[in-house]
Amino acid sequence: MTTDRKLTEPVSGQVDVDGLLLSADPLLMRLHLRCGGKEGGPLAVPELAELCRLSRRLGMNLSRPVQASDDESRIEMWVETRFSASDKTDPLSLSIIDWKEYPHDESDKVDPSRERDFDRLEGRGAIRTDAALRIIAQQMSGEAGQDFDVIGQSLLDIYDVIPPSANASLLEAVAERQPIRNQRMRQKSAAQRLFVLQGNPLIDKAGLFAGYRFTATPDDAPDVPAANGTDIKRASGKLISDSLFGMQLGPALRQPLGKIIANAETISGKLEGPLRGDYASYAKDIASAGRHLLDLVNDLSDLEAIERPEFTVAGDDIDLVDLAHRAAGLLAVKAADHHIRIDLPDESKKRPARGEFRRSLQILVNLIGNAIRYSPDGSVIKLRVSAEDGFARIAVTDQGDGIAAEDLERIFEKFERLGRSGDGGSGLGLFISRRLARAMGGSLTVDSKAGKGSTFTLSLPERKTA
Amino acid sequence: MDRSKHNDIVRHASAMADKASFVADDFAQALFPRTDVIFNDRMRSNAQQYLHSVVGQIEQRICLIATQDLGVSQQVLLGIAQGGDGQSYAMLEQSGLLKTPEMVQHLFVKTQQSELAARLLQKISQEDLESTLTRHLDHEDPAVAEAAMGLLIAQSKTTGAAGQIAASLADLPPEIAYAFAWPVTAALARLSGFTGLQLQQATERLLAAHDESAGVARKAERLAQLLDQSEADKKSISHPMRDGLTLFVARLARQSGLTSDQIVAFTAEPNMARFVVVMRAADFPVQEALSIFAALDGGDHILTAASYGETDRDRCLALVSRWASPDAYQNAERLLSDDFLDIQRK
Repeated sequence: MTTDRKLTEPVSGQVDVDGLLLSADPLLMRLHLRCGGKEGGPLAVPELAELCRLSRRLGMNLSRPVQASDDESRIEMWVETRFSASDKTDPLSLSIIDWKEYPHDESDKVDPSRERDFDRLEGRGAIRTDAALRIIAQQMSGEAGQDFDVIGQSLLDIYDVIPPSANASLLEAVAERQPIRNQRMRQKSAAQRLFVLQGNPLIDKAGLFAGYRFTATPDDAPDVPAANGTDIKRASGKLISDSLFGMQLGPALRQPLGKIIANAETISGKLEGPLRGDYASYAKDIASAGRHLLDLVNDLSDLEAIERPEFTVAGDDIDLVDLAHRAAGLLAVKAADHHIRIDLPDESKKRPARGEFRRSLQILVNLIGNAIRYSPDGSVIKLRVSAEDGFARIAVTDQGDGIAAEDLERIFEKFERLGRSGDGGSGLGLFISRRLARAMGGSLTVDSKAGKGSTFTLSLPERKTA
Repeated sequence: MDRSKHNDIVRHASAMADKASFVADDFAQALFPRTDVIFNDRMRSNAQQYLHSVVGQIEQRICLIATQDLGVSQQVLLGIAQGGDGQSYAMLEQSGLLKTPEMVQHLFVKTQQSELAARLLQKISQEDLESTLTRHLDHEDPAVAEAAMGLLIAQSKTTGAAGQIAASLADLPPEIAYAFAWPVTAALARLSGFTGLQLQQATERLLAAHDESAGVARKAERLAQLLDQSEADKKSISHPMRDGLTLFVARLARQSGLTSDQIVAFTAEPNMARFVVVMRAADFPVQEALSIFAALDGGDHILTAASYGETDRDRCLALVSRWASPDAYQNAERLLSDDFLDIQRK
C-alpha cells in the first residue's frame, strides 16, 4: 500500500548558507521534525541536507530523485534546488515536485503505537528493555504518561519475581531468547503492585537480540498487600472487579475462548492445508461466535465493574483529537474491510479535556465500531471536535439508517439492541460507554433521525491549557 | 630548407624529448591492460571528439558571458566568444587536467552509450526508435505524459548524426560541468593573460545557469520513477527497442538500485556478464532477457536460455546489492581483498 500524494503545488522550503531550514511547507516541516529537526534548526533530513550542500559547493541548480524515511514511511521525492547566482549568501530554495510515501515493511508490520493503544485499551502496560534487561521505556496502565524514573534501571531492581518462577529461571529464559509467559512480578516500590508479564524477545535489523518487549497486566488480587493504604482502586486501572465474574469467571472463560477463536481461524484460513469449502465456512462461523462470546465476557466484566459503588475513574489530561486518531487507528482494518473512510479532525488541532485516557478511548472505539457496523459499505464516518459551556466534545457521525425518535433513549439501556441480532453486538456497549462518560463528569448523547444517519456526542470536562 | 619548417621540426623534436619518458608508460598500458574491456578505434575517436567539443563549448560560453555580460574586451577572449578556435584544449590535454577519474569515467560512459546507440540502430530504424517514446505521451497520468514529453524535447536538443557522439553542455552532469569549467577558466586566463576577476565570475554564472533538470539523463530518470510508481507500468519489462536506450537504462537502474552509468559500463564488459546478472536479479523473463542481450550486443556473443535460466537469482541479487554500495566502500573492499593483495605481491 502506498500513500499517493499528488502534488498540485511543489513542496517548498528555504535553506540558508549554514544549512538552517528557514521556512518549509507543512509536508517538508513534518518530515524535518520527524527526523529530529527543530523549527529554524539545521535541515534534519540527511538526504536533502546533502543535496543542499552539494548544490552550494558546486554553485549549481540540481534536480534529483531523493529517498528519505521517518519512523512511519519511506518517502520518494523529486527535488530541485534553486541557487541565487547574484548573492551566494542568499537562501537556497528547495522545490519538491514529487512526493510519494510508502509505509515501512508493507506486508506485515505492526505499528508500535497502534500496539501500545491496544495494550492501553485492554488495561495492559508496556515495558521495553534492552538486552541486559535494563528498562528503556515503561508505561503502566492507569498512568497517563511514561514513567521516566525507572528508565535505565534493571527490571529485576524494580520488580521482584514471584514464585513459582524465580530469578534463575527467568534469566535462563532471557539467556535463551525465549518468550516469557505469565511471569508474576511485584513492584519493589511502595505501591507493591502485582503484574503478570508476557514478554517477547526483540531482534534488531542485524539479527541480534535487542531486548524484550513486555506487556504487564495488573494482577491486583486480594492477597496483594495494600501497602501504606495506597489507593489500589486507582492504581489498578482495571475493569475486571475482584468479584466473582471479574476475578474468576472472566479469566476462566477468556482463555478457552481465545483458543477456540485461534484454532477456528487457523482452520478457516486453511493454514494447515486444503479443506472443503463448507468446512472452512463452518470454522469461520465458530471463530465469529467465539469473538462474540469474548466480547460479551469483556462487556459483562466492565458492566460489573462500573456498577460497583466504589467505581472511580482517573482524571488524566487527554486530547480528544489525539484519542480520535488512536481509536480510528485501532479500527482502521475493520473500516477498510467495508471500504469505509473515517474522516478525522486535523491532527495539529487540540481539544484538551479531562478524563481517564483508557476509558475515553474505550468509548470512542465503541462509538466508531458501532458506526462501522451500522454504516453502508463505502460510506464516510465523520469525527468532529468542538467545545461549549466548559465541555470538550467529540461527535461521531455515520451515514447509516439512523434511529427512530422513540428509540433514541432505549439504545443506552442494558442489553438493548433494537431488535437487531447477528451483528456481533452484546447490547452493552452504549450502556457502558454512557456510564463511563458520566463517571468522568461528562455525557454521551445521540442525535438521529430514521434514514438520516446518527451522531453520537461524547462530552468531557474541558481542560484549560496555558 | 624553409626556415619556419625548420623551426617546426626543432620545436617538435624538443616536445618529443620532453615526453619521451612517458612512452614506456603508454606502451605498458596498451600491453598490460588491467581490465578486459576492449576499447575500439571508434570509441577512442569518439571520446576525443566529445572531449574536444565539451571543452570548446565551455570556453566559448565563458568567453561570451565575460565579453557580453561583464564587459571584458580582451582580444583572445573576444575571438573565442565569436566562435574562433579555442586553445585551452591543447593546454589542458598536455597538463593532464582532463584525466581526472571522474572525467574519464564520464567520457567512457558517454562513448559506450554512443556505441550502444549505434548497435541499436543496426537493429531498428532511427524513426522507430524515436517513436518508442510517443507511447508514453498520451499516458493517462498527466505527470507521466509530461515527463515523456520533457525527455523527448531534451533528446531532440542533443544534436549529432546517427551513431555519432554528440556533446551538449545541458546534458553534462553538474559535477562534471564543474570539473571541466574551472580548469578551462584557468587555461583561458593563462592563454589570454587576462587577470581580472570577470573570468571567474563568468564561470560562476555559467554554472549557476546550468539546469540539471533539463538534461536527458534526469528527464529519463524522472520518467522512469513515474512509470515505476504507476500501477499499470510498474510491472512491465522495459526493453531498449520499446523504450529507447536512455529510458531503458534509467528504468533498469531504478529497478536494480544501481546508477545509469553503471548499467552502461556493464554493457562494455566481455559477454556483458554483469549486465546479464542485473537482468536476472531484476527477474526479467528469459525471452525478454535474450532479446535485450541481442539488441545491445556488439559482437557475436550469444546468451542462451539455459545459461540465463541456470543463473542463480539469489546470488545475482546479492551481487547487484554489492555493486550498489558506495564506490569508496567497493574500492576499499577490493583493495583489502586477499585476491588483490596476492596480485600486488606477485
